[in-house]
Amino acid sequence: MEPEVASSEMVLPVVLPFKRVQMSDKYPKGQSRGRQWKHLKQILQAENYASLPADEPNYLSIESPPSMYPSKKYCDITGFEAHYVDPRTTLRYANPGVFKRIRGLTDDQIQRYLALRNAVIVLR
Amino acid sequence: MPPSSSSSFTRPSRQSDYARFSPTTPIVIDNGGSTFRIGWAGESDPRITFRNVVQRPRHKATGDAVTLVGDQDPALMKYFDCTRTSYRSPFDCNVVYQFEIMEYVLDYGFECLGANSEVNHPILMTECICNPLSSRSKMAELLFETYGAPSIAFGVDAIFSYKLNQQYGRCYEDGLTVCSGFSTSHVIPIVQGEPVTKACCRTNIGGFHITDYLKQLLSLKHPQHISNITWEKAEELKMEHCYVAQDFTSELQQFQKGNEDAKEKTRCWQLPWVAPTQGEVPSEEELTRRAALKEKQGQRLRDMAAARRSLRITELENELNGLENLSQQLDEVDEHDVSSILAGTKFYSRQEIESNIIRLTQSLRKAKGEPIEVEEKNDASLLEKYPLASVPDEMLTPEQLKEKKKQIFLKTTSEGRLLAKQKRLEEESIRERQNQLDEEKRLENPELYLEQMHARYRELCERVEQRKKPKTNGNHNLLGGVGRGERLTAAQKERMRLLTSAAFDRGKGEDTFGARDEDWQLYKLMSKDNDDDDNSLDEEEAELARVTCRLQDIDPNFVPRSDLVPIPGGTTEFQKFRPQTAEDFQIILDVERFKCPEVLFQPNMIGIDQAGLDEMAGISLRRLPSVDDSLKAEMSKSVLVTGGCALLPGLLPRLEAGIRQLRPYLSPLKVVRASDPVLDAWRGASRYANSPHFTLQTISIQDYYEKGESLLRQYQMKYTI
Repeated sequence: MEPEVASSEMVLPVVLPFKRVQMSDKYPKGQSRGRQWKHLKQILQAENYASLPADEPNYLSIESPPSMYPSKKYCDITGFEAHYVDPRTTLRYANPGVFKRIRGLTDDQIQRYLALRNAVIVLR
Repeated sequence: MPPSSSSSFTRPSRQSDYARFSPTTPIVIDNGGSTFRIGWAGESDPRITFRNVVQRPRHKATGDAVTLVGDQDPALMKYFDCTRTSYRSPFDCNVVYQFEIMEYVLDYGFECLGANSEVNHPILMTECICNPLSSRSKMAELLFETYGAPSIAFGVDAIFSYKLNQQYGRCYEDGLTVCSGFSTSHVIPIVQGEPVTKACCRTNIGGFHITDYLKQLLSLKHPQHISNITWEKAEELKMEHCYVAQDFTSELQQFQKGNEDAKEKTRCWQLPWVAPTQGEVPSEEELTRRAALKEKQGQRLRDMAAARRSLRITELENELNGLENLSQQLDEVDEHDVSSILAGTKFYSRQEIESNIIRLTQSLRKAKGEPIEVEEKNDASLLEKYPLASVPDEMLTPEQLKEKKKQIFLKTTSEGRLLAKQKRLEEESIRERQNQLDEEKRLENPELYLEQMHARYRELCERVEQRKKPKTNGNHNLLGGVGRGERLTAAQKERMRLLTSAAFDRGKGEDTFGARDEDWQLYKLMSKDNDDDDNSLDEEEAELARVTCRLQDIDPNFVPRSDLVPIPGGTTEFQKFRPQTAEDFQIILDVERFKCPEVLFQPNMIGIDQAGLDEMAGISLRRLPSVDDSLKAEMSKSVLVTGGCALLPGLLPRLEAGIRQLRPYLSPLKVVRASDPVLDAWRGASRYANSPHFTLQTISIQDYYEKGESLLRQYQMKYTI
């Protein structure tokens, strides 16, 4: 361990005095631990809120509903209000100058613009 | 805008007064999505604050994986190999799910706080509202069993913040708190000091989404600087330059028109760059000097080549002389001595010597630059070399038959080679003649010639483009499937026709294609991948290339279109000619400044189909169970905005305008910002933990072991004590 790294105390020590169980005992080296943790979606599924009484608030019930106002469409490239849509790529644009640029974009850039809006259709 | 300096950061320093606190003093932890704050109850500021992330790189010297929590000093990071690691957070949205990382974070927090023996202080921890039970129970397990805490309590950070501000007098007992955090935003109504969890409203938009949006927009706008636009840099830019527009549409229009205001609001980030050291355009003397230098170099090379050639000629002559002497000697001498003389040299027979002599004479001639005599002996010797070829089969023995086959093969190959050579010579002579004609035409009427060439060039360009368009059309759309009448090439149309007719011929009931072997012959009828188109396209492209070269030679003003024909060396020079200026290294923030925070109010902009902040307030008020309008009016007078995003300038007026739209006309409305939106949650929790009745709100370790999960499920903190 280089002296400056040791003196800056940036590395977390492996053994800590205030813990009853050390990390190395709890998580033995060599196993990939990422998969044992459930993601939020799986946690919520496992919670099984449908079986609980419906009037008690739970994580899902306090989620906000979709917006009541129709969404305004903005140009994907410049950000201004977009009144037109390119039929080939489904990108929104504001004026003919932007349209020319859209037609010159590569596939990869088009997908990234659409991904900004969560509008990418992924075929798997 | 001043050049970006490296973000200065301070590592939390180790506290040394852990032992000073009695075991009844609670430790207060604000476990936030972006930062982790830990400190003692009763104090006004958290002792330790760091970013709630962990990375596990490998130490280069020892090769072990080490754990680093929070932000690190960039200068020291060179000792670690961070290629396969990334920052990991214990949160998924606003719920803790990765408890291994949570443990690392808590380890570091306690260690910096100075803990050296067991953590025997009550712990007050923040969580999200309506935290799922499994997350809460795993957290309780971690705190009780690994750290040995005697009692714990869970509370919601937004409400602690509200309570604190209530004590400051900024808001009242009934009100609404709008908390916009790192990954989520909540609106929580508070009635008589307690939150009404049922009427709470949560949208999954927070500071993280704003920063991410900004980063993506800038990367797409300036793809060449993509490596400079990191997450940390985007956050810096957001905190320094982003603001919320009072009226988004009119602000956009200002920028669209390019008003004076718009220009003032544009910010420009200058990346560090070095101007290429390019001398001024060389002057006349410089040019002549360079030309003279090149001449001299050329002359020197030519001299060297001539010297080499003469050397080689003398060598060959010497060898030739030697061989001729040898053959003369052999002529004069008797039979017996021949073999002895031959043994001295490296030749085995006279024929070899003779053939070598012939070879040397030829190479000598070539070196001297004289034309070689055409090998006329070929025609005559073909038959001689392959004598067996003409003899009919019956008269030969088996070995001779084999010999004959070999000779026939050799004969046909050499004949073929001869034919090919002749054809080449013919073609070359034709081309020579054509070029000569061309030259004559050009010399007699240069302008007309030039015009004709230009016309041909344009024609070829058009044709190549047309041919290319359907090809690329097809290629673009094959990703999404061919349909909706996209322009198909002839080959594609043919393929579709064959396939559909094969399908329909069987009848509508079943599809028995493939049952019979002949069915698969169908695929042989289809052309493979537009072969024909390619061939003809290549010819036209070759011709286009020729014409372009010709035009480049003759016409000084001609600039070829680079998209159709790749011109080696020509266009790249042309593009490099434009020197890189400081402007190439500037990143402009104009519309992004207010477009990114707008995501809080219009989550549809990034595709999240939920309500924005102002609408959420209305939804929350509507969800309140059986509450009369007077109470709602009371609550509207005390709306508190807290959380990290509350620091964005312009958020408050915008939110106020938004909520005013939802409330009845002229009803009272007052929106205030928390005194310190970032730290108020911890401070509120600290004050709460310091009050004498705090212990009633905690879960002790004995209760946990007795009752376990059911206790955690029912646990609900009372905030007014």
